[in-house]
Amino acid sequence: MKPAFSVSGKVTDEDNQPLPGVSVAIKGTTQGVTTDASGNFKITVPGNSAVLVFKLIGFMQQEVTVTSGTELKVQMKKDTKSLEEVVVVGYGSQKRAKVTGAVSSVSGKTLASLPVGGIEALQGRIAGLTVTSNGSPGTGAIISLRGISSVNYGSDPLYIVDGYPGSLTGVDIKDIQSIDVLKDASAAAIYGSRGTNGVIIITTKKGNNNSRTEVTIDSYYGIQNVIKKYDLLNTQQYLQYERALNGSAGIALPPRLQPENFNKPIYAGSSQTFAQTNTNWQDAYFRSNAPIQQHNVALSGGNAVTRFYTSANYFDQQGIAQGLSAYHKAIRVNADHTISKILSFGETFNATVNHQLYGVDAGNRTAITNVVRMQPYLPVYNPNNAGGFMGPQNSFDGSDPTNPVEAANLINNTNHGFTIHGNAYATLKFASWLNFKSIYGIDYGTNKNNTYTPIYNDGGTSSSPTAVINYTRGSSTTQLFSQQLTFDKTFGNKHHVNAVVVYEAQSSRGDNQVSTGNQNTNTVKTLNGATNLFTNFTYGTNLLVSEVARLGYDFEGKYLISGSIRRDGLSVFAPGHKHESFPAASLGWKVDQEDFMKGLKSVSSLKLRAGYGVTGINGTVLGNYPYLQPISSNIATYPFNGSLADLGNASFYSGLSNPNLSWETTKQTNIGLDLGLFQDAFTLAAEVYTRKTDNLLLTVPTPPSFGFNGAGTLANVGSMRNRGFEITLGYHKTKGEFKYDITGNFSLNRNKVLTLNTANASITAGGDADYGGGNPLTNTVVGQPVQSFYGLIVDGIFQNAAEVSNSPTQTGAAPGDIKFKDVNHDGVINDADRTFIGSYLPKFTYSLNYSASYKNFDAVVFFQGVYGNKIFNAERIILEGMPRLFNAGTNVLNAWTPTNTGTNVPRAFSGDPNGNKRPSTRWIESGSYLRVKNMQIGYNFPTSWLRAKTDNALNRLRIYVASTNLLTFTKYKGLDPEIGSRNGTLTNGIDYGQYPQPRVVQLGLQATF
Amino acid sequence: MKTKKIYLWSALTAIIVTATVNSCKKGSLNTSDPNNVTTDQYYKNSAQLTNGVNSIYVAIHSLGLVSREWFFIHDLRSDEVAAGGGQLEAPRGQMLNGNSDPANSVLNSVWNTWYIAIFRANVVIQNAPAVTDNTALRDRLVGEAKFLRAWAYFDLVSQWGGVPLYTVPVKTPNDFQPRASETEVYALIVKDLQDAAAVLPEKTGIDKGRATASAANAMLGRVLMQTGDYAGAKAALLKIPTTGANGYTLTSRYLDNFEEETEFNSESIFEIVFVDKGDSGFNWGGDSPTEAQSTVRNQEYNPIAWRNLIPSNKLINEFENTATGAAKSDPRFHYTCYQSGDTYNKGTSVLLDGDQNGNSSVMNGVTKKISFRKFMIIYKEGLPAASFHPGGNNQRIIRYAEVLLMLAECENELGNTAAAVNYLNMIRARADVAMPAYPTAQFPVGSKADVVKAIMHEKMVEMGCEEVRNIDILRWRKKQYFTTDPFSYFKKGRDELLPIPQAELDNNPKVNGHQNPGY
Repeated sequence: MKPAFSVSGKVTDEDNQPLPGVSVAIKGTTQGVTTDASGNFKITVPGNSAVLVFKLIGFMQQEVTVTSGTELKVQMKKDTKSLEEVVVVGYGSQKRAKVTGAVSSVSGKTLASLPVGGIEALQGRIAGLTVTSNGSPGTGAIISLRGISSVNYGSDPLYIVDGYPGSLTGVDIKDIQSIDVLKDASAAAIYGSRGTNGVIIITTKKGNNNSRTEVTIDSYYGIQNVIKKYDLLNTQQYLQYERALNGSAGIALPPRLQPENFNKPIYAGSSQTFAQTNTNWQDAYFRSNAPIQQHNVALSGGNAVTRFYTSANYFDQQGIAQGLSAYHKAIRVNADHTISKILSFGETFNATVNHQLYGVDAGNRTAITNVVRMQPYLPVYNPNNAGGFMGPQNSFDGSDPTNPVEAANLINNTNHGFTIHGNAYATLKFASWLNFKSIYGIDYGTNKNNTYTPIYNDGGTSSSPTAVINYTRGSSTTQLFSQQLTFDKTFGNKHHVNAVVVYEAQSSRGDNQVSTGNQNTNTVKTLNGATNLFTNFTYGTNLLVSEVARLGYDFEGKYLISGSIRRDGLSVFAPGHKHESFPAASLGWKVDQEDFMKGLKSVSSLKLRAGYGVTGINGTVLGNYPYLQPISSNIATYPFNGSLADLGNASFYSGLSNPNLSWETTKQTNIGLDLGLFQDAFTLAAEVYTRKTDNLLLTVPTPPSFGFNGAGTLANVGSMRNRGFEITLGYHKTKGEFKYDITGNFSLNRNKVLTLNTANASITAGGDADYGGGNPLTNTVVGQPVQSFYGLIVDGIFQNAAEVSNSPTQTGAAPGDIKFKDVNHDGVINDADRTFIGSYLPKFTYSLNYSASYKNFDAVVFFQGVYGNKIFNAERIILEGMPRLFNAGTNVLNAWTPTNTGTNVPRAFSGDPNGNKRPSTRWIESGSYLRVKNMQIGYNFPTSWLRAKTDNALNRLRIYVASTNLLTFTKYKGLDPEIGSRNGTLTNGIDYGQYPQPRVVQLGLQATF
Repeated sequence: MKTKKIYLWSALTAIIVTATVNSCKKGSLNTSDPNNVTTDQYYKNSAQLTNGVNSIYVAIHSLGLVSREWFFIHDLRSDEVAAGGGQLEAPRGQMLNGNSDPANSVLNSVWNTWYIAIFRANVVIQNAPAVTDNTALRDRLVGEAKFLRAWAYFDLVSQWGGVPLYTVPVKTPNDFQPRASETEVYALIVKDLQDAAAVLPEKTGIDKGRATASAANAMLGRVLMQTGDYAGAKAALLKIPTTGANGYTLTSRYLDNFEEETEFNSESIFEIVFVDKGDSGFNWGGDSPTEAQSTVRNQEYNPIAWRNLIPSNKLINEFENTATGAAKSDPRFHYTCYQSGDTYNKGTSVLLDGDQNGNSSVMNGVTKKISFRKFMIIYKEGLPAASFHPGGNNQRIIRYAEVLLMLAECENELGNTAAAVNYLNMIRARADVAMPAYPTAQFPVGSKADVVKAIMHEKMVEMGCEEVRNIDILRWRKKQYFTTDPFSYFKKGRDELLPIPQAELDNNPKVNGHQNPGY
């Protein structure tokens, strides 16, 4: 027997480019190494000879017999077949070619290459998936798939992280290996009662066996700025506007503006007068060059038994406005161990801290609304006031906004979150075709919400004579037991059978503690020694027990058929209504495998798919015990005898029990086509679907005379339909020095409410006295898309008295007022003339990603857009609605007067007797936009040069500059056309002065050691 | 060997699966709410029933009613107020100008909140018979619930006419009630008040702020007068004691009825209680044990705060004034209103024109800034504290002066003019009012018609902006006591009533299609 000898060599691809990360193993053993960044390897071979096996995903496996210590040159060939990616589906994975449902995937590489903080990185990446920004840093985006299927409940998809159904908290984008989105019901129904809004499966990185430990640093730092600002009145213009507005209505100059007051110093000790003050409240409120940064350090590697991936992450985003910021810090350890041929064991562990500093909309007026409304003649600060700020005196100034800089700085609202997630699993491989997996996972999260208002008084609208402290602590513990048995076998080379059976239970407990109190000093910021103490503690539990089965069969990889069923039992429903079954079935035909296609060389793949399935939305959105009406015990008090010491406790209830409550169920049909041309250089995936949701869980409004303040009672009534079309096109040039990749997404969805609790039922939302007088801004009725905008139609401006008297009766109208359309032709303009004036739902959405590399340079441009949606620009009511005196946009100076008739801004008249501000088409704007969402240029330092310069320490170094939201093309007049919703209600697409997205410029580096 | 291993692993798997299945069975799907009792488990004893009654008071002192919208709806539907200026919110302006539509937020709030109170009263009344641990307390609680339910229906029937009549709590989403006739609604009110008066104690036997027998009798007087039953009203009003510990008398100082330190005085029959916690807080909605207990009235009408409503020229010119030929200027003008030059803040501040935002008034031909004083707490505080300060001043709902004025009207309608004049003169004889007795040069009392005029005058100046004028207008309009209607916008067959709220029409199929005329 020959002594051990050493073999070294270099592995390249067909273009002679070095291939790093190729696994080189000695056949029949567990010994092996991986190639380094230059494609080099060195391995010690025992005995006379050995067969070396070279493996790399995307390449054909190669075997080379070695008998002596020669220098090997191995060229690996691309494997178009194995390039068929593997797709993670519920409780297993499948080759892309065999998938029969609508499943879209994004690689972690695509996501991680972009300097974007969280899951919003998915925006524009998946046809049919909509991501809408919804506020300041740390506020989650609104994510919906294939339209809206529920009236009362959110559109959040189900997230499965490494097999664990839960939340995305703690998952850093840089740790993600792949994201697979189960879009249609035939795929998602395996998650049964939670599958309606689609399932997003996230797989985190694992490390490779037999590879050296690799250290990766991924880091960027950027600055953020406001993209756009409003044109607001300055002090001189404010005075002009005040007279136009109040003077016309015969209202005297507010005391402050009278010369004897206006020429007084802004505060005792200041030499500046109100008349000399000209505060730009936007400059005072918004911040310039707010920093954003993210840093990730990851280690990965492994030997024959164990592989691991571990990382530490830090993300910090400061707001582009005062008093807003968020950060998270996370660590992750993923490892698995092949203990024997039969048994392997693995675990994922993740701990995260989150912190958010957020703003609260006082009295529903957003900070930006107060920025618009603050009088320019008032200073931001007044050192004589407790707290140091200055506010208007509502009566003296004739106007009552609140100082937005004061609210942002004095009042401290924070969320401190901590989550810990652990997952352990064992796999038993009884045979190559039979596999058992057992998972036990724990997810624990706690959030401390702390609001603190100090003692302060700005001499006007805002003050607090005592410090107010509110401490709320919520925690949740979820446990998952999942037992999965998988069968996968091919019989006679033709019949492939795949089957999974699962038994799973997920239990959850949530605790909530609240403590509030007051302090008569600003020194003590806790409840120690506080007065007016109040405390509460509640908890709730729920349990979901499921049985799942799926059977797939394909014949020669040509004809595919799959069926699944899940039976869910959920504790939250009444006895007798706790269980429901969710079936699904799908078919696929790999046309390219047919003999008649063999001659058609240009078609590299072609598959037709069809599927049907039934899904639900998570019943726990209703709470843990929704079917019984609770007593609100001791919920309020009444001060009999005028005494706070001996308050009379009050208990009541407000609503009806409904023991028949059950899931919303959605039936979905999907037909799809996958096409690849010219060795899959050109790819296309197209889907058509229809989703119909029955048993819509509606809060059926009760008449106020029931005594529930109109609050509804939950019932399963109504139905809704979404129909749509999605297409993804790609062109991939993968050979040569200049490589590029173009991917385009297009999706279209049409939503319609089919039935509600009654034929004439109307579910209104969004009304707010400040934004149009209080009439609702949206209405959900049968035959229209959900929450369509609702209001009058503007028919021009009355130019003279004759026109007023010749038009349908419009109470309060005078020349210069808006003429509304008499929609019902009854000769009177009133609420009965309101109609549907647009939808926030786009006609279609689209995106285009272009990434290219040339030698050591690479570049990405990512366009993302929506088309055909409307925005209810409620903030423009604040800017130019002129109901009563506040600061406003400069447009109010162009108000109609007998000498300024060529305008679309009605007359300025305090009190707005004609209701010009009413919800109407006046405030509806196009929400279409096209954005250069991301743009990036990077440079990779040459590996050989790097290694030489760093004594082989550094294998890869890339630096890049990037920008997010660099350019936006839109006609929308507000700050940002991406508009979310208020408190998750039916107010999507209404701009109440939403925190706008910043434009970001970043500088980053990625290095591998 | 290999086979053995597989058997071993299979056995282990079987154990894991069995263990999981069993552990899940133990954690059964049949969970119960650890935080709440449900409706079928509550109202079983007198303590729980007390909490139920307290919740009716809570609804009534919320912003939907007495701490905000209730005084607005009564004042805006009277001729005692005018807009303070452009700062008056649109729905209030709408109501003031007679343009209320079914979506008007003021009338919606009042309607909704009265029905919350009615529902809570019905819960108490329905559950009471099964409560046996303290039957005396139980019966008193039912009396309170009936008093509050009667007040609620009286306010509703007088603003809206026949309204849906619920006497038991709804059980299913389809328990809709149609509009009852006014007669049916009044029948329930009268029955409830008679029941309440029979079981409720007088003021020394109960917490201050709870309904008493006298409150029930006074309310019954109001109600019966509205139905035209003056004899019945008189009988009820005369049951109110005037002597002894439970007796009611006029306070010698008129302003005692509008200040915080003199709540529950000898004149006060029923008050809704507010307390200032010292934090400028106001409950803008929602329930919590620590919520503010204040009323925002002080903020809404305050001359140096929002000044949303000011006294109408009609009200300020109604006061007898030497400038217009009266023997004495009525001091109640200064108790009811502030004008520029008046002192406030315990006499340390002087009210200026410039402090009062908005509109001016015309009094006896002179234009000046006049604002409300009743219930304002700037009598004891100044700027900047008063700039935003919802206060703890109790809202007096019924005071003895009103009982005397009602008795005057009953006697006059029953033909006893002398008795009527006697009651009016008791009002004028209050120590710090001391107006000359009727007849006066301006107000002769030679006929029933003369006395009607004196009553209408005296009630307006005594009860100005105390939320009774609206009801008086409805009654007197029916009797054609007004030569010109108090509302310039008045259209017969429409403006007697407010429109039924849109939300009621939309969601109550039995009311839909039965809107009040003209809306």
